Amino acid sequence: MAEPVVSVERLSKTFRTAMGLKTVRAVRDVSFEVARGEIFGFVGPNGAGKTTTIRTLIGLIKPTTGRCTVLGAPVPSPAARARLGFLPESPYFYEYLTVRELLDLTGRLFGLDRALRRRRGGELIERVGLGEAADRPLRKLSKGMLQRAGLAQALMNDPELVILDEPMSGLDPIGRKQVRDLIIELQEAGKTVFFSTHILTDVEAICDRVAIIVAGKVDEVGPVAHVLDSSLTGTEVVVRPRAPIEPLLPATATLRHSGRDGEDEITITLGADVDVTALLVSLSQVARVVSVVPRRESLEDVFLRKAAKGDAA
Amino acid sequence: MTARIWAIMLNTFREAIRNKVLYGALFVVVAANFMAVVLGEMSLAEEARVARDVGLAGVSLFGAMTAIFLGVTLLYGEIQKKTIHVILAKPIRRWEFVIGKYAGMGLTLTLLVVAFAAALAAMLWFEGLPFDAATAKAVVLGWCEVLTVAAIAIFFSSFSTPFLSGIFTFGLFFIGRSYADLSYAASKAKEPVLQTIAEIALWLVPDLHTFAISGGEVAGKHVTVHGDFVGWGYVAAAAGYGAAVIAVLLLLAVLIFQRRDFL
Repeated sequence: MAEPVVSVERLSKTFRTAMGLKTVRAVRDVSFEVARGEIFGFVGPNGAGKTTTIRTLIGLIKPTTGRCTVLGAPVPSPAARARLGFLPESPYFYEYLTVRELLDLTGRLFGLDRALRRRRGGELIERVGLGEAADRPLRKLSKGMLQRAGLAQALMNDPELVILDEPMSGLDPIGRKQVRDLIIELQEAGKTVFFSTHILTDVEAICDRVAIIVAGKVDEVGPVAHVLDSSLTGTEVVVRPRAPIEPLLPATATLRHSGRDGEDEITITLGADVDVTALLVSLSQVARVVSVVPRRESLEDVFLRKAAKGDAA
Repeated sequence: MTARIWAIMLNTFREAIRNKVLYGALFVVVAANFMAVVLGEMSLAEEARVARDVGLAGVSLFGAMTAIFLGVTLLYGEIQKKTIHVILAKPIRRWEFVIGKYAGMGLTLTLLVVAFAAALAAMLWFEGLPFDAATAKAVVLGWCEVLTVAAIAIFFSSFSTPFLSGIFTFGLFFIGRSYADLSYAASKAKEPVLQTIAEIALWLVPDLHTFAISGGEVAGKHVTVHGDFVGWGYVAAAAGYGAAVIAVLLLLAVLIFQRRDFL
């Protein structure tokens, strides 16, 4: 991998409770890298350590141990923050500001000149669909509109890296689709997108790679397809037999008979350990193979299984 | 650097001027000045004394109260409301944020003191009295005190809740105003241990009496805004002292803020 845009090495964070008597290990020995130009999903149940990790990357939280770099610079680095955009979870803004004023403030903090602040602010307001609400105080906006305002401010500096903490949170299906499309647009424009979510269909739809974090530990990192490949649960084969097929099948196979067009049709469910290729060669001697469908866990199944494992640990 | 501090300053100023409490303080001071006119009329040839005392008390007392009110929420409010997450994700350093917040509050309080002073000037004009040099010096000293109290409030706000910060700041304001009395009491303490403790405490407490000197003594000489008052040299020295106290308090606030995790 070329120099990663985000690198997290053995990050741990332990918080002390208010009285300092107890400690809570929010993140334990977390390591992963995000490559330039990819959409990276950071997936985990509530309390898994996603937000703690993200806030550490932004420099809001200091790690107990471990090392993080963002855009080649060790965290915290104002120079790196100048090249990234960030949307916090359930973003809170100065509610007395209008959307336009929020973007102007953001532009000032990035050192943009007045003309650029106005132009880019106007473009982003239209891009996130807040044209009608641009001059309304933020306290009068719905949660979904606030999320869009948050996205707009995260893009104000035309960042190389966009870090989004639960960007789909609080959005209706249309809003979620718009955010998904925006993330894909950002990738097409050469940006790197790192986002956390627990909405797994979004991850499956748009992410190149994912990290699954459970109980403060990263359980798995890799391409979405790889995470799913490693979770092949079996294969479903549909055949129309010309002769009995049972002798050819392993004992673990389950059969379901159904009739179609007056012909017997059998759906065979095979375990993940069965050599499907060899079996198909044998089956084709006595039956017409209608379909072969590998059965994998969805990302949601993987996630739930890992979450359950984390709870048990 | 300056652009980012400027941005935070302007935003803090905008927040303050959209806060209705500020207008409440302004209304109370203007109303107090109006009352002073009435009270002055009721007094026997003491119109000038009543007008100046009430007007300057407005600058000093209501200015300090507004500084405490705005200051105690200045940093803690940002953390509590999580608005700081969006701001510190930008290329701003934490010390720039603290300085920008203080500068914004300082700008707000300065305009408030100007408004209070304008109300005082209007009242004096109504009474046919001049806004003389002594009054101007007292207003400048009051302004320095307000900015110092704001720095005390922002210091406590860097680690404490607004409620506790309010109590601590008000406590320091009260003790700081009684600095001369405490200093005298410390010098008269018979037990050396008590004297040492009192001297250490006096080192830790800002001397706000320096800014509210009317009616007190400077170099053994009684000074009053209604007669012989301090010179501009004293005002400059007091301003320098205030600036030093503000610098130390902001430095401490920055050091505390640098170490914090923002959850």
